[in-house]
Parts: sequence; structure tokens; C-alpha cells
Amino acid sequence: MTAEPSEPQPPPGTCVFVARGLRKVYHTGEVEVVALHGVDVELNAGELVVLLGPSGSGKSTLLNILGGLDVATSGDLSYKGWALDGAEENTLTLFRRNCVGFVFQFYNLIPSLTARENVALITGIARDPMAPEEALAMVGLQARMDHFPSQLSGGEQQRVAIARAIAKRPEVLLCDEPTGALDVTTGIVVLEAIERINRELGTLTVIITHNAVMAEMADRVLHLSDGKIVKARRNSQRSAASGLEW
Amino acid sequence: MLDPLDLKLLRDLGRMKGQVLAVSLVMACGLAMMIMTRSLTYTLETTRSAYYQKNAMADVFASLKRAPLAVAERVAALPGVAVVEPRVAVNVTLDLPGVAEPANGRILSLPEDGGPQKLNRLFLRSGRMPRLEARDEVVLGEAFAEANGLKPGASVVAVINGRRETLQICGIGLSPEFVFEARAGDTLPNHRRFSVMWMNYRPLAVAYNLDGAFNDLCIDLTPGTAPESVIAAVDRLLTPYGASGAYTIAEQASAQRLNDEMRVLSSLAVVYPLVFLSVAAFMVNAVLARIVRLQREQIAQMKALGYSSRQVGLHYLKFVVVIGLLGTLIGGVAGRFLGASLVNMYTLFFRFPKLEFQMDYSALALALVVSLGASVAGVLTVVWQAVKLPPAEAMRPEPPADFQPSLFERIGLTRFFSPAMRMALRNIERRPWQALFTSCGLALATGLMVLPGAMSDSIDFLLTFQWNRQQRQDVTVFLTEPGSGSGFHDLEHLPGVIRAEPIRSVPTRLRFGHRSRKLSVTGIGPGTSLNRLLDGHGDIITLPEDGLVMSKKLAEILGARIGDLVQVQVLEGRRPLVDVPLRGLVTDYAGVNAFMDLSALRRLMRESDTINGAFIAVDHARWDDFMRAIKDTPRSAAVMVKRDQLAAFRETTAKSIGLIRKLYFVLAVIVAFGVVYNSARIALSERSRELATLRVVGFRLAEIRGVLIGELAILVLAALPVGLLFGRGLALYIMASFSTETVRMPIVINPATYSLAVTVVLAAALLSFAVVGRMVGQLDMVGVLKARD
Repeated sequence: MTAEPSEPQPPPGTCVFVARGLRKVYHTGEVEVVALHGVDVELNAGELVVLLGPSGSGKSTLLNILGGLDVATSGDLSYKGWALDGAEENTLTLFRRNCVGFVFQFYNLIPSLTARENVALITGIARDPMAPEEALAMVGLQARMDHFPSQLSGGEQQRVAIARAIAKRPEVLLCDEPTGALDVTTGIVVLEAIERINRELGTLTVIITHNAVMAEMADRVLHLSDGKIVKARRNSQRSAASGLEW
Repeated sequence: MLDPLDLKLLRDLGRMKGQVLAVSLVMACGLAMMIMTRSLTYTLETTRSAYYQKNAMADVFASLKRAPLAVAERVAALPGVAVVEPRVAVNVTLDLPGVAEPANGRILSLPEDGGPQKLNRLFLRSGRMPRLEARDEVVLGEAFAEANGLKPGASVVAVINGRRETLQICGIGLSPEFVFEARAGDTLPNHRRFSVMWMNYRPLAVAYNLDGAFNDLCIDLTPGTAPESVIAAVDRLLTPYGASGAYTIAEQASAQRLNDEMRVLSSLAVVYPLVFLSVAAFMVNAVLARIVRLQREQIAQMKALGYSSRQVGLHYLKFVVVIGLLGTLIGGVAGRFLGASLVNMYTLFFRFPKLEFQMDYSALALALVVSLGASVAGVLTVVWQAVKLPPAEAMRPEPPADFQPSLFERIGLTRFFSPAMRMALRNIERRPWQALFTSCGLALATGLMVLPGAMSDSIDFLLTFQWNRQQRQDVTVFLTEPGSGSGFHDLEHLPGVIRAEPIRSVPTRLRFGHRSRKLSVTGIGPGTSLNRLLDGHGDIITLPEDGLVMSKKLAEILGARIGDLVQVQVLEGRRPLVDVPLRGLVTDYAGVNAFMDLSALRRLMRESDTINGAFIAVDHARWDDFMRAIKDTPRSAAVMVKRDQLAAFRETTAKSIGLIRKLYFVLAVIVAFGVVYNSARIALSERSRELATLRVVGFRLAEIRGVLIGELAILVLAALPVGLLFGRGLALYIMASFSTETVRMPIVINPATYSLAVTVVLAAALLSFAVVGRMVGQLDMVGVLKARD
């Protein structure tokens, strides 16, 4: 990448990520594990994509490479025309800081900071952030802003994590099992927040899950197995997160 | 096959080897000091007692003017006296070829009958004893011979009772009486300028008109005899012969010096290890607390599998037992090595036929007990927490830690703090004990760092105080016998003398209550400008017209305060016994001294203008002329040249303290680095999830390191002032334990010493930050975040 990614939000339907022949090989001791076996995929602006697949299918690896947390062993990956493969650590840091929001299964909030301060961590370093209060309002937490993580329920903590991820107005929101640690009701509330972000901000949203039900809320569903995309389908109509049941 | 839990233990320890090593090293520092000092004490004690026994060190000593040899037989007949050896002992000046300044010698006669010595037997290092008929052969003290490159076959010129005699060196030897080979009353050895020597009785006795008589007596007591009764009897017998009072081995200069050294070592053997082991206990606690928190689920698993609480508790105790064992092992090896190296330093001061380091294995056993005790005590609460954790609860993820706004924020200072700073402050407030322990460890490290600097400062101050401000004379001369004012007149008119001030020094026993000390009271004239008496602030004390002024240390020993009446028992001439008020205290650092106004002392002695020495300032352009003249002054018994004493001080005391200083410095650096490194590792491990999160959301590595280090930096900064105060206290304690009747250390700590301590601790902190900062870069972001807390 030659310049800092700083383009305005692309119109819906334009390619944000283009991956060609992505391979990822891990070496653990003497064992070689091939996590991605040549993945070709295009992810478009404004899309909500769900990645389904069993454990070890390579979903998280793909997500981490897309988000600049990891680099592919071979293959090409571009973000809005910029090559991400072979990018330097500093460039990846800037990419994460300005373009990508992450949500993990475990909320990973800083326990010593309040909800508002956790979000403010990002707004302090991002280029064009929204106010922490605005981000928290988007996930319905305006009333709990000055609570510490220990004073919030699991669902609330995950919503703070989402607010933290989107406060920078990222072009991409990557969610790794965002409801994995939550009960159904709370999980739905979290999914509603993600859905709202995707709809209102037009953020390309990628969700990894084991839960096939969640595929209903996606524009597109990609099935991974053995490090390859084995099936892709496009939903003719997205279901509302509030209507999901599992 | 190892027990699976032990296997786990070994692998866990392997993973945290850096921390295990850091804690063990800090522990080892304390143990090494303990083993070293105890072993050195043991070495000196066993060597001394073997030497004293084998070479028949006397129990009681007496000197007198002159008594017929038959009197010695009467002493031998006293109850409790086993062996008596009369001899002639005289002080002479020596003229060394090629050296302008005269040296001082003490010649002791061999037995009158030509037989072997019964007491204080010589150990002949090389050469042979004087031939029976030889009139000019001497055995020379080893320290002096070595310092001046003299060997058997060489000769030395001595002024014996006013006549220059060339003495042939037939042997080099040592004596248990001169393990500390120095002039009586000198607190520091000056091997270049003082020698003890032995020669046949007859030539020496004849030269001093003592043929058939003696002026010095050594007595061996029968086992179990209390020396006091013998001393009283000996004094009664010898007083008519001008005796100045018999004294025991405890007051014998060399023996006293050895005792002082061993007392210093013993006190160091306690305080130093105590400090290090306290730090180590803090560190062990922090390390194990972290392991137990990390292994919460593993503890639950062990219990679920059926391991008992006792087994789980023991498993975690074994962590610290391994650390304690490792610390003892390193400490033992280091202590032995340091002891074996430092024992050579003692040859600067103490002369034994053979001084070989001997390991005190009981110290090693004690070290093991102490180190295990300290580590186990440090972790008992942590192990208890692990043991009482119910398995079901432990398997659930730990809820997010409870936090609240820090004190600074509660009082409205929030806006002054960055998020990183807020995290740091809230973390500290949430675990105040952990923060306190870390700060304590760092404060101790800072304090330890003050000590070596304080020693340098003390020595520098001592050199300036003692040799520039207090003693402004170039030379101090003592005469063989007290003489009239004409003697002073002669000294005053030697070539090159700028100024001379008379000394009248009188042997006395000073008593206050039941305590007493035998020493010379020095009479000096009013308005003396050469040997000045100074108080603790360096201000000049004017001698009052009546009364005593004495070393603060002497007043302390006697328990006397200003205004008290001190009994002065003069031990020569008419032996007056008077009560004299204590009028002032002098701050001095070597030996103990007492002073009186010259006229007052002469009145007491009923003398007119008697002197027995002088302080002299010499014109440096005429230095050699003066020295030539003084060498030929028949009545001079001892000539002390200030710059020689200064050189000797630098060669011995300054050198040995310099060595100890370096050792302390290294130890302090190890502690400072160890404590910061350990804390930083723990912080890194405890906060890896936070740091990975920050990394994922786009914080730069430098920013993340800032977050990690911020908290530690606050603790370091908080520890520094406390550490400096502690360092001052420690220096006061150590200097006080160095302070003996023979040598004392002034307590002076320059600002530069404090700044150095701060700089070194900060540097050690930065180094550990750098090491841990590198590890931040290696954090597995995804792995950490996807793992359950």
C-alpha cells in the first residue's frame, strides 16, 4: 500500500476486498497446518456477509487476514485497490485504526475504563470518529455510559465492544462469533445493533458464526470447509435480526 | 517417572524462567552476603584461635619503666599466672635507604636466656632467628618487609637510644601480638612506615641501660583464671617500677582491632540479607499470585480430577521451594566466591601465617532455612486462596475486575489524565497491596544504591576532615622520654620548621562510674592552629582552662556527658588521681582521644615546661632538610608524616571499602533490575488481553508500551523518594556498625549520591521496560483475544 487508506465511503456494491488465491500456512513445531487453501472472494461495500463453517474451517483465519491482524502466506488481497498482502506492520496498524472495526466473542473491554472511556480510546486516535456518546447511543447504551465493565451484563459489554468498533466510522466491521458467549435474547439485541450499524452507516459487515440461523440476516452467506469456500449463496431477502430464533 | 504435577511444575517454571531467575538472583544476593560475611567471620575466628593457641598469645600485657628480671619471677609466682615472659620493648626511628622520611619501629627483645620464646612466639616466614651471639641481627615484621621490598640479608638503619645502628635482617616473621601490624595507638596500618622487629636481649638491653632488667611483660594465665585479680596483683607489684597498668588481651591493640572487624562482619551478616530477602519475599508473592490467577481453571481441573486441597497447596508451594533452592544454590556459590576473593583483602590489615577462606557450612544451612522461610511466608496467603477455590467457581470465567474512578478523578482531576494514565491509576488503586509491594521492592533497591555512594562520600569527607581541617601539621614527633622545654626548642629550630606546637601526652586510665579506658591524655597549648579540635559541625573547639575534652565515642564508651566529673588516674610520675570535669566533645574518626589544656595538664603533673612531642608544619621546599635533621634527632622515638598516613589510608581502608562498595553496587543493580523486570513481566501477563485489544483497535506499539509502562513508571517514581530515605537510614545503620573504637565512618551523603541512585534505578527500570516492551511486540493478538479470560 502506498498511501494511508482514506477514501470516502464507497457507493454500495463496489468491491471493498478482493482476495485471490489466499493461502495461509501455520507452522506449529514440526507440524504444518494449512488454514486457508487458496480462497477467492470479493466483499462489497454495504454488504452483510455471514461466514459459516465448522471449527478449523479457516473462517477466523480469513477474518484476521481481512482485518490486518494476520498476513497471508501467499495470494493477493486488496482493500479498495490497495494491496494488503506484504504490507508493513505500521501500515496494518493504520489500516486497523482507520478502516476496520472488530468485535470478538469475548468482549475484551478494558476493565479499568468505563463504557464511555472504552469507546473514547478509539475516538482519541481515529481520523474522523463519532462522539463516544453517539456510538453508545447507536447500540442503545446511552444510559449506561459511565459504568465500568464489571457493572454491565454480558450483552451490554458486547454492545460497548460494538460501539467501540464502530465509533471510528469504519468501512468494515468484522465480528468473530459476536453472540457466542451470550444467551439468545441478549444475542438478538447484539445482532440488532450490528444490523443497525450495517444499515445506517453502510458498513461492510462480516460475521463469523457456527449458528446457521444467523445466515438469515445476511445479504450473502459463504460456507467454509477445509480452508476453502465451498458454497456461496445470496439471500433474496434479509430477515430482521429481531425475528431470528435459535 | 515424575509425578504429573511435578512435571507440570517443571514446565511452568521453564516457561517463566526469566522471572524465576530474577527472583532467585535477588534472593541469592542476600544469601551470598550472609554466607560471605559469616564465612569470613568463621575464617578469621578459626585462623585467629589456631594462631593464638599455636604461637602462645599472652593473656595479659604490662609495660613499665625498668624492673630487675627477678621481679618477673615474683610475677610468675602470683596465683593464676602460668607463664611470664619479661622483655625489652622500645620504639625507634628507622632510616630507609632512598626515603627522605623516617619510619618507625618497635623492637622487642627475644628471651634473655637465649632460649625459645615462651609467649607470643614468632612465626618465621623466611630466613632464621638471630644467632645467639649476634648483636645486630633482627627478624623483621612481614608487612613492613613486603611493603619496602626488604629480604633477609638486607639491612636497615635504626636510631637506637640516639645512636645510629645498622641492623642486619636475618629473617622475616610474624607474631600473634601483631596480627594488626601497627604502632600502638595507630588505628590504621602503615606498612611502609612501621615495623615490628625482634632482636637478641643483650644488645638491646645494654643500649637502653636495661641489662638484667625488663620494661615489658607478657603473662599467660592458668585456664579459668579471671584476669582482673591477676591484673590487680601485677599492678601492685609493678607500680613501683613505673608500670602504666597491666591490661588484658581485650585491650591489646591488634586483638582489639580483630574483634572490631569481626563485630562489623557479624552485624553485616544480619542486616543485608534481611533487606534482600524481604524484597525477594515480595517478588515471590507477586509471581505466585499471578500464577494462581492464571491457573484458576487448572486448579479447578485438578480438584475436579480428585486432587486434594493439600496436594494442590503443596504443588504451588513447590514453586517457591524451587525458587528458594535455586537462590540458595546461586547464593552459596557466589558467597563462597566472594568470600574467597575478599579474604585476600584482609591481608592488607591482618597478618596470619596462613589465611585461607573457610566456608561456614552452617551458614549455608541457615541460608536454606531463611530463604525457604522467606519465600513460603511470602506466599502463604496466595496458596491458601488457591486451595480454598471451589472447583465449580474456578471453572467459570472470572468476571471483569471491579474498578472505580481513582482518587484523583473523584476529586475532579479527571481532565488532566489521558485514558492510559487513568487505567494506570485505577489499576494501582484496585490492587493497592501489590502496588505497595512493588514500590517497596523498588524503594529497597534505591536504598541499596545509596549505600555505596554514601561510603565514598564518607571516605572523601574523612580525608578532608581528618587530614585537612583537623590535622594541619605535616609531621608529628614523639620523643623517647618526656623532657624539658629545651627539647621543644630543638624541634622548633630544625631546618624547614614553619611552626611547631608542643605536645605533652600522659598515660592515664579514665574512669566514669564502673567503666574505664586506658589511654593517653594529650595536653595542647591554647590557640593551637595545627592539630585542631573540631566539633560535629567542623567548628573549632577552644580548650577550656580546666577540664577534659574527649572524643564523642570515648564519652559514649564511658557513658559520660558534658559536665560530668571523670576520674583521671595518671599512670606515670607521681601518679596523681583527680576528678576532672568533661567540658567538650570532639568529633574524630580514628581511635579515641582525650585532651587537656597544656598548662592545666602540667599543673596536674606538677611540671613546668615538660613536653614529649610536637606538631610541626614544615616548609615543603625544605622537606628533605627537615627529614634529614629529624632522622638524626636522637630523642625522637616516633615520627608520623601526615602524607604517609594518608597514602597508607588510601592503600588499605579506602581500597577495601572501595571493593565492598563495588560489591554493593552490583547487588543493588541486580535488585533494581530484578524488581522492575519482575513487575513488568507480571503486568504484561496480567494485562496481555488489554494490550492485545489496544493493538487490534489500531494503537501503535509505542502507544501500547506506554500504557503498560505508565503504571510501573508511577510506581517507580513513587518509590524513589521513599527509597532515598530508606537508603539514608540504611547508610546510617551500616556506618554505625562500621563505627568501632578504632575507626569510625562519618555519615555524609552528597546530593550526587542520591542522584546516582535515582539514575541507576531509572536506568534499570528503563532496561526492564525495554525487555518487556519487546515482548509487547510479540503478543499474539488474536490468540489472546479469542482465549477466555
